Amino acid sequence: MVFPLLILVAALCAALAGWALWFVVRDRAVILRQLFGAAAIEAVLVVQAVIAGVRQATSDVALDGALFWGYVATALVILPVAAAWAFAERTKWSSVVLAVAAVTVAFLDWRLWQIWEAAA
Amino acid sequence: MSATTTPGRTGRGFGRLLVTVYGILAFAAVGRSSYELATKFAEAPVAYGLSTLSAVVYVLATVALARGGTGWRRTAWVTVGFEAVGVLAVGTASAVAPDVFGETTVWSSFGQGYGYVPLVLPFVGLWWLWHTRPGNRGAPPEPPTPGTTPAPDPEVR
Repeated sequence: MVFPLLILVAALCAALAGWALWFVVRDRAVILRQLFGAAAIEAVLVVQAVIAGVRQATSDVALDGALFWGYVATALVILPVAAAWAFAERTKWSSVVLAVAAVTVAFLDWRLWQIWEAAA
Repeated sequence: MSATTTPGRTGRGFGRLLVTVYGILAFAAVGRSSYELATKFAEAPVAYGLSTLSAVVYVLATVALARGGTGWRRTAWVTVGFEAVGVLAVGTASAVAPDVFGETTVWSSFGQGYGYVPLVLPFVGLWWLWHTRPGNRGAPPEPPTPGTTPAPDPEVR
C-alpha cells in the first residue's frame, strides 16, 4: 500500500460523506452523481489493492494475508452494495446510508493500512 | 426523528439505515469468524464458535429486516432478540469471568471492539420492529379471511 492513496481515499470518503450529509439536512435522496463519486472511491480502492498485491508478491513482507485480503474484500463490497441499497430508497434516509457507507470504507482503509504497516 | 413509516415495511425509511448498519456488522462478523475458523479455531473453540454463531445471526437479521413481510418479521424478532440477549449475556460473562472464552468475540465487553454498535443495534432493531408492527398508525386493514366476513346486513340503511 502507499500512503498518498490512503490519504486520497480518506479525503474522497470525507467529501462523499459530507455531500450526503448535506443532502440529509436538505431532506433529499441520493442522486446519480453521488454514485459516480462512490465509483471513483471504488476505483482508487481497486488500484490500492493491485499495488498491495504486487508489493506482497515481489517483497518479503510478513503480511497476514487472510486478514489483509479479508479486509480488502469487505472494503470493496461495501460501497456498491450500499449504493444500490441507498438508491432504491427515495427519502433522506438513502443519503444517511451513503454517508455511513463512506465513513465505513474510510475506516476499513485505515485498518488496512494498520495491518500493512504492522507487517512491513 | 421523523421516521417515514409504512407499517409492516421494515426496510424502508429509517429501516434503510438500520439494515445498512446490520449489513456492515454482518460483513464484519462473517469476515472475522471465517478468518478465525480458517486460521486458529483450535486455540479458543468457545470464543470462535460464538463468533461464528453471532455472524450467522447477524446475516439472518439483516436479510429478515431487509425483506420484511410476515414470515421474515418473525425471523427478525427472533434473531434481533437473540442478539440482545447474546450481547448482554456474553458481555456480562466476559466482564465477570474473562477466562471462560479464551479469546474475545464480537460480543465481548458489550461489543466495545465495534464501538458498542453490537450493544445498541439490537435494541434499536426491537424498537423498529415494534414501531413498524402491522396495524400501527394507519396500517392498511388486514384482508378479510374468506368465510369469516359477515355478510352485508340487509337491515342497514
